[in-house]
Amino acid sequence: MSSLRILSQEAESASSTEVTWDDQQRINTFSKLNSRVRSLFEKLQEVKQEKEALDDLSVELELGDEDELVMYKIGESFLHVPHNRALKRVEKDKSSLESQISDLSGRIGECEMEMQKLKTVLYAKFGNAINLDE
Amino acid sequence: MASTEESQDNNPRGIPKAPFISDVEKYIGGPDGDVESAMKKIQDALAKYRYMDGNLAQRRRGLEEKIPDIRKTLSMVEFLNERREGKQKSDDLEENLDDLDLEDETADKKPLVTTFELNETLYAEAELEDTDVVYLWLGANVMLSYNITEAMELLATKLKNAEASLQSLQEDLEFLREQITVMEVNTARLYNWDVVRRRERRAKEASASTG
Repeated sequence: MSSLRILSQEAESASSTEVTWDDQQRINTFSKLNSRVRSLFEKLQEVKQEKEALDDLSVELELGDEDELVMYKIGESFLHVPHNRALKRVEKDKSSLESQISDLSGRIGECEMEMQKLKTVLYAKFGNAINLDE
Repeated sequence: MASTEESQDNNPRGIPKAPFISDVEKYIGGPDGDVESAMKKIQDALAKYRYMDGNLAQRRRGLEEKIPDIRKTLSMVEFLNERREGKQKSDDLEENLDDLDLEDETADKKPLVTTFELNETLYAEAELEDTDVVYLWLGANVMLSYNITEAMELLATKLKNAEASLQSLQEDLEFLREQITVMEVNTARLYNWDVVRRRERRAKEASASTG
């Protein structure tokens, strides 16, 4: 379950390199970022799916009859709202999702960059004695 | 845990920081120190951290379910509010035109028709008259009536609080993650140190018996 383990076969080389408090903090940050990226990524998938659903929805709505009422779901019930109203709500929701997506991917990018830096430092010091992959 | 550094601090919610072992030999008390009991201590602490981690993760899942619920309710109340304010709200010309369309319909005093879930898979239609009052389910079998603006405020505060506690939960979880990592690294280093010590002892014994 952990992304960090010092391989026991490498016991000798591992113990010959002392782990300092600085190293420990780097390892900590790495593992923190690793779990953060994972949860951000899950969130991103969710939001993306929702966005796709809304994209489909707006296509359907544009094909639909403008004079007909649309059953629009808010909360747990369906409201019968005019076509243009529904379209406007979909567009609004879509743009809020879009900004969420770009926010999430930005944060994932930042984390990954930071992790890459830490990886370079840690692998340089510990070599095979540390495993920083998923 | 005397021979450790950075062990006294807690995080803001009182989760103790894991001790970092700077020197294994010193930690277990000399070159012939007892690895077993030190290892057990670390494993115990690790188990406690993991238990806490599980607990908090569960609370996070709870909040993650609760927040969309609050959001749904809030958006429904906001919808009712928008409908009530209806035509006064107009930002630009295009909006104006759209709302003129809408005005025609609301001017007919057409009540809002909804299809709501009566029971699972069973839906019924209901007409909603314009209203100033909504009922919010407060839990514990209690429902209170609020006027729409009050309800919006209440729900917004609840949403904000839930998001704030989710935020601090996430911080705690990340903090725990770090402490667990420290303990895992401690375990690995202690173990490796012990392996090396055993090998050296064996080598010594071998050279003693041959020599």
